Amino acid sequence: MTLPYPPNTAVMNLPRRDAKDKLLGRTRYTVDESSHGMLHAAARRSETASGRIVKIDVTPALSMPGVKAIATREDAPGLHGIGIADHPLFAKDVVRYHGEPLAVVAATTLAQARAAAAAILVEIDPIAPILTMAEALAKDAPLIHPDWASYEILREGAARGGNIAWEATVVRGDTDAAFARDDVILVEGTYRVGRQSHVPFEPRAVVAAYEDGRFHIHTSTQVPWTVRHVTAKILGVPEAAVHVTVPAVGGGFGLKFDCSLEPFAAILARKTGRKVSLVNSRREEQMTCLSRENADILIRSAVTPEGDIVGREATVLMDCGAYGGEQVFLTTMTAHTLGGNYRLGSVKIASQAVYTNTPPNGAFRACNGVYNTFALECHTDEICKAIGMDPVAFRRRNVVGDGDIGATGQVFEGDVLGPMLDLAIDTYGPHERAKKGPDGRLYGRATTVGTWFIFVGPSSATVNLNVDGSATLVTSGVEIGSGTMVQSLPQIVAANLGIHPDAVIVKTADTDASGRDLGVGGGRTTVSIGAASQEACAEVRSKLLAVASQMLQTPQDDLVLAQGRVEIRDRPGSGTTIQTVIAQAELEHGPISGSGAFTAPGIPAMPGCAAGHFIDAIDIPVFAVHDCDVAVDPDTGKVEVLAYRVIQDVGRALNPRAIHGQIQGGVTQGIGYALHEEITINAEGAFDQTGFSSYRIPTALDTLPIDYHLYEGAPSCGPLGTKGAGEVPILNVGATIACAVANAIGTPVNALPLTAPRVLGLIDGLSSGVDLAHLSRHWHENTIAFSE
Amino acid sequence: MVLTLMINGDPVPYHGDPRRSLLEVLRDDLHLTGAKDVCGEGFCGACIVQIDGVPKVSCLLPVGRLAGAEITTIEGVSNSETLTAVQKAFLEYDVVQCGMCFPGMVLSMTHFMAENPSPTRAELKSAMTGNICRCTGYERIIDALLSLGSNGLGPVEEVRP
Ligand code: FES
Ligand code: FES
Repeated sequence: MTLPYPPNTAVMNLPRRDAKDKLLGRTRYTVDESSHGMLHAAARRSETASGRIVKIDVTPALSMPGVKAIATREDAPGLHGIGIADHPLFAKDVVRYHGEPLAVVAATTLAQARAAAAAILVEIDPIAPILTMAEALAKDAPLIHPDWASYEILREGAARGGNIAWEATVVRGDTDAAFARDDVILVEGTYRVGRQSHVPFEPRAVVAAYEDGRFHIHTSTQVPWTVRHVTAKILGVPEAAVHVTVPAVGGGFGLKFDCSLEPFAAILARKTGRKVSLVNSRREEQMTCLSRENADILIRSAVTPEGDIVGREATVLMDCGAYGGEQVFLTTMTAHTLGGNYRLGSVKIASQAVYTNTPPNGAFRACNGVYNTFALECHTDEICKAIGMDPVAFRRRNVVGDGDIGATGQVFEGDVLGPMLDLAIDTYGPHERAKKGPDGRLYGRATTVGTWFIFVGPSSATVNLNVDGSATLVTSGVEIGSGTMVQSLPQIVAANLGIHPDAVIVKTADTDASGRDLGVGGGRTTVSIGAASQEACAEVRSKLLAVASQMLQTPQDDLVLAQGRVEIRDRPGSGTTIQTVIAQAELEHGPISGSGAFTAPGIPAMPGCAAGHFIDAIDIPVFAVHDCDVAVDPDTGKVEVLAYRVIQDVGRALNPRAIHGQIQGGVTQGIGYALHEEITINAEGAFDQTGFSSYRIPTALDTLPIDYHLYEGAPSCGPLGTKGAGEVPILNVGATIACAVANAIGTPVNALPLTAPRVLGLIDGLSSGVDLAHLSRHWHENTIAFSE
Repeated sequence: MVLTLMINGDPVPYHGDPRRSLLEVLRDDLHLTGAKDVCGEGFCGACIVQIDGVPKVSCLLPVGRLAGAEITTIEGVSNSETLTAVQKAFLEYDVVQCGMCFPGMVLSMTHFMAENPSPTRAELKSAMTGNICRCTGYERIIDALLSLGSNGLGPVEEVRP
């Protein structure tokens, strides 16, 4: 597409307009909402991971001081979910995880609501919980969802059964033949990762009201339209009866990419006729965090001595917890992450969401890409060791480039990873041998590659041009902290209309004002909302220029919009202000506005390769090359990251400084994941880590200045060739640190996080490894679709 | 119990349980929501206020102990016309993301910079461990603070072409 303006006019380090109030403590997040007469709600949650509900008696709680209403399973009979409707709002006949909601209470004060919630009489007959995927997949394992076959299917095409909520498979080419070749070397790797908790500083929170027969939900979410849809579905009301608004969100990282507390507050608002605030306590937030899931991964590869990967078979088990949730969708991504990066002669991949009696998991920045990249890159280094090839040379030989096909047979456009790898080695120098330093520590380095994607899909935008020459951008975009709504979007609109970004007013998300949108996540905002905004601007431009053309007696094609004026091309000062044109337009036609829409272009996959996928091919791949140096103390197992470097495929960097902020922050979250953020599940099925003191996120002493290079020019259908840049910085951090540690200690790494005791175990040869006895080396035996 | 709290220079009468945390009183009773309730256990620093000029986590501070103390919250530090040097540097260096940690960050770092006008990067990092941030990865905040230092470093070049 040719742009009607020089693309560089959209590129600038525009400061954030919301920073000042955030620094002054004036920004009102959902947790800061308060108004006279607002009620406070508290949940009663199950303290049993699995059991049959014998009784929930709210009578004693109802008569407690301040209590205005209590909602229970009777108030929300419907089921919701992604792909399959398997999730009730309140536990119905059985509880399936520790922390599952049983009731919510609205009272005058929070203390009263909590006291009443505790006073509800609950009797549960415990059933032995299934806490691991190995137990869930055991032959005679009891079913966590005995009624799984009767659930409403929201998306057709996946194999399901037993405790497997969803299965996505890829079969391309003949791996059996590849593995049977007599010239190949077989390499097998098993990997295990734990959960990661988002810890957004603002927990999930909502204020709901019921006014004029409609629900007004003011909430801390990334997905206003999902909240609207799911709330309506659960309450059994028309979607049009739900109005969602979103103020500044105090951190999301994917946790808020689903409907969460909103329906509870909505029910209580309708029961009481009052505003109801429901905020997770930090303990609840941690204990029910829709974490990045724990996973078990088996990869087997057949590689020629020259370094061609002729066959690859992989099985990835993703723990979805008690309900399918986001993991059902995320099974899709394994094909593009674990099955990504490299050219594969033939490939079979199974990716399964497995039910357990543990808190449900969810989406977290670059989701399963983070651990699939960890497993794939560790496995790649093990291949290099097995065939005696340099890891950078192997990667350079095998990374996908222009015209190569991916796991599902999609054809990639452009050479991106190859040049990025070259740039890394040119910039940071060739690898030296791992060595022991004079300080006794073991030094290692690794360079890894990663593939992620932009989650495109529907977005809409309206642009109203105001009489004062400003423009109002109306979308459902939410500012979750990444800056997209206050930086790249006003920059795009301003460049299109020839005005300053400060003259672009960005409306906060409001489903009554804006069109539908998939939400803020998956790196999609700049791309999808940006493209819709650009289309809306095109309509505004053409209306504006039609009037200006008459006024200036000049063909439209010879007019340019710049600095708030319409000028005749190459004759600065010849035209007039856009206010004058807007005034004339009002006289002739009325006010000027435009609307725009965007959706996924739908890149094709090879027919018949993929089953159970939500996306068969990725519309906008995003690539990353990471490189790091570590030192490992062999006496303590402590890992220090000495240098960390990122080369990130950004398409075009609209606000380089803001992208730097995302890289610094995303890599730091990745360091936490790689080294010390750990969740353990106890015999009760609850997380041991209940807050900041037990779940350790990085402090300033745990990170370092991240070196970075923004790689521009890779193809993208995003506006001005942009790709989202906020999600992907975390993608290969676990991988790169693990590979560098393996390089340093000379022992393969197969689990994250690399806490000091785990590293010490590897060094001492004590750690038993990850055997994954519940996975067969005969790939088809791990599947539902292909097992005889 | 009745006591008078001095909050941002104003006397504020308090009748109630002296064991309640200052954070709760600020947020729930006085609607001063700049201090954030994030961890509730003294770990994150998002609830920091200054008590007689010294940063303290308000989530662990019973109001009953504060009679006569000067309490300064983020709302009392400045107004939009007179941002402090630390706030200005944070603004100029575009370091804010979700913003939830920044009220506490501003109050601790303002105090730290006043006591240590020429900090090194390492000193700043140690000083910042009481203020956890989930979004930013800290280093750009440190760059912003180093630009204020009188140690001859001057502004840190932070944007590359
Ligand atoms: S809320 Fe007080 S230190 Fe975290
Ligand atoms: S900016 Fe989000 S917690 Fe610091």
